[in-house]
Amino acid sequence: MNLRRYNIYFNTHTISGIIICAILYVIFFAGSFSFFKNEINAWQKNESDKGGTYRNIVFDHLLDSIGRIKELKGRDIAFYMQHNGHASYVNIGTSQDTIIANKAKELAAKKELEEKKNRKANVEEGKKKKRGRGRRGAEDSMYFTYDLATKKPSDYSDSYTMGEFLYRLHFLAPLNQIGINIGRPFGYTLAGLVSFIFLFALISGLMLHWDKIKSNFFVFRPGNKWKTVWTDMHTALGVIGFPYQFMYALTGIVLIVNSVLIIPFSKYLYDGKEDEVYAALGYNDNTKYTYLYEPLTTAFNMGNFLDKVEKKWPNSHMNRIFIKNYGDKSMHVVALYDADIDKNFAGSGRLIYRVADDKILFEKSAAENGSYLDYMKGFIYRLHLADFGGYPVKIIYFVLGIMGCFVIISGILIWLVARDKNNIPKRKRIFNFWAANVFMASCLTMFPVTAMTFIAVKLATKVDQPFIFHVYFYSWLALGVFYIIRRNIGKTNLETLLLGSVLSLAVPIVNGIKTGNWIWETYRSGSNDILLVDLLWLSLGIIGLLIFKKMLQTAKKENANGKKVTGATTKSHTKSGNSSDGDSATGTGSPVPPKRAFALKNKPATEI
Amino acid sequence: MPANKKYLSSPFQRFLKLTAGFFGGYFVMLYLHLCLTKVFDKTDILITAYVTGFIAWGVLLLIAFLSRNGWIIWGIYLLLIAIFYSIFIYL
Repeated sequence: MNLRRYNIYFNTHTISGIIICAILYVIFFAGSFSFFKNEINAWQKNESDKGGTYRNIVFDHLLDSIGRIKELKGRDIAFYMQHNGHASYVNIGTSQDTIIANKAKELAAKKELEEKKNRKANVEEGKKKKRGRGRRGAEDSMYFTYDLATKKPSDYSDSYTMGEFLYRLHFLAPLNQIGINIGRPFGYTLAGLVSFIFLFALISGLMLHWDKIKSNFFVFRPGNKWKTVWTDMHTALGVIGFPYQFMYALTGIVLIVNSVLIIPFSKYLYDGKEDEVYAALGYNDNTKYTYLYEPLTTAFNMGNFLDKVEKKWPNSHMNRIFIKNYGDKSMHVVALYDADIDKNFAGSGRLIYRVADDKILFEKSAAENGSYLDYMKGFIYRLHLADFGGYPVKIIYFVLGIMGCFVIISGILIWLVARDKNNIPKRKRIFNFWAANVFMASCLTMFPVTAMTFIAVKLATKVDQPFIFHVYFYSWLALGVFYIIRRNIGKTNLETLLLGSVLSLAVPIVNGIKTGNWIWETYRSGSNDILLVDLLWLSLGIIGLLIFKKMLQTAKKENANGKKVTGATTKSHTKSGNSSDGDSATGTGSPVPPKRAFALKNKPATEI
Repeated sequence: MPANKKYLSSPFQRFLKLTAGFFGGYFVMLYLHLCLTKVFDKTDILITAYVTGFIAWGVLLLIAFLSRNGWIIWGIYLLLIAIFYSIFIYL
């Protein structure tokens, strides 16, 4: 092994790892739960989602009812189907018709003024009205979610759920709101940067362990010093989970900051038009059709149109529908369809329809063999979202994701223990301990806080975005600060595990008491999504308690051992202190109690 | 266990390597892929760059750290950028 290279890999891996560890942990933890976003939503609302069905005529009703409160003429309307297949984000843009647009602007301005007055009054009363993402100032556009099966619209903020929260937390969306202005959403940029550093850490980590991959693959020495346990855990889980983590680092970067490629590509190859790039990639349809100011004479029936498309393309489902210039002679409908996942891994269909003369201008079926572009996109999205194989795949993904959390935690601990030596200046060691303490406190408290928020949303009468934000972030802050001040990593570990496990076990119980949907009830009624969330928490709680028990036993044994050996090893203390054992994998038999100049209380700071 | 200092370079050198790898590596990767659009379809290259681009960027960053001298790696990357850029623009 080339020693120079080895040490460079080592150093870059360590530094990049320790920089991102805490944020990466949040991403992994919240991300693992977001596989079950829809299930968590169903669980929270206590409405099992049995694949609600709807008839396409619903769209006509929807357009009618919006048309009653808003002049639809000349607007672009977009429907983005959600994953559950029966709800859609609906976006209604401003009108191309200048007369209507101006009228709407006036109206909106008036409304805004009124709202301002109201807000002032509210502030005077000491109430701060939070504004959801759904309403956007004086703009005349509309954005909401519509459930096609139940025919219920819902404002974004009010229909906020734990599933949505954890999903958005996993790409750090809440950080966009804290007011750091860097020209683009701060949270997303940070998440992208962390993913890139993660990718880098993975590459350097792989190179670092390359020579020992085979020989160390089955090495696990749980009976040894804690440091070797963590080292083994870090390498074993890291190597096993490597392909998965690598895939996530990569697809994660793509999904959150693909603009680092899109912007230069659009600049050089698409005349600086980013829209055009997205259209070329098939995400959007930004084709602008010139507005003709001539009313449409033929009737357009969206239900019929969709029925026809579906007859034409069986085995595929609607993904996005864009209606352009509604009600004008230049009205077009662009339908983007996806192939059903069990029929075709990556197929996308596109149909462009001109309403005025009932003509299909472009047609490509999703069932046709996907293009290279389709396959690449399918590869990136399917792998990241894990929506290609039902629950088994999602559960495997979840386990691998939590395993990633363990890799991160053990990485932090190795980092700390490896630097906890006499030859390192005290000042640095204090800083190291402080950093590790903060990281561990903020990471490990996520488990109990998440379980607690699940209970809170079940017990609360009204759950919206501010509620979840307050419960989650304030309790996280409180618990985190408590453990930071406590400065005992071992206790942080033990107690958060115990607290988290107990709260996890309480989740299905609270759900049962509150809604009557006990595990056996949901099993009997076939509400698999609600059952899954309950079972998930139940197993997390049981596993957590088992680990807790094991840890207590080990700690006891350690204590007894420690007392016996302390007398005998006082001499070897000073010796081994200066010779920093360069190899992480030398597990000496006798447990040498670590020396901590800054140890707190009478318990080893970094041990259980 | 921290890496042996003997094999690591001075802070300024490390700064050079970091910037060379992060910024230089990015543009090397970018212009390399832009060059490829001369041969292949541009959208296909873009979607390919989603995978290969980021891996290449990460590897180039690591290579910068492996180099013996930060100035030299900056030089190499700048040279590569110049080559790829001129291929892309003038060919």
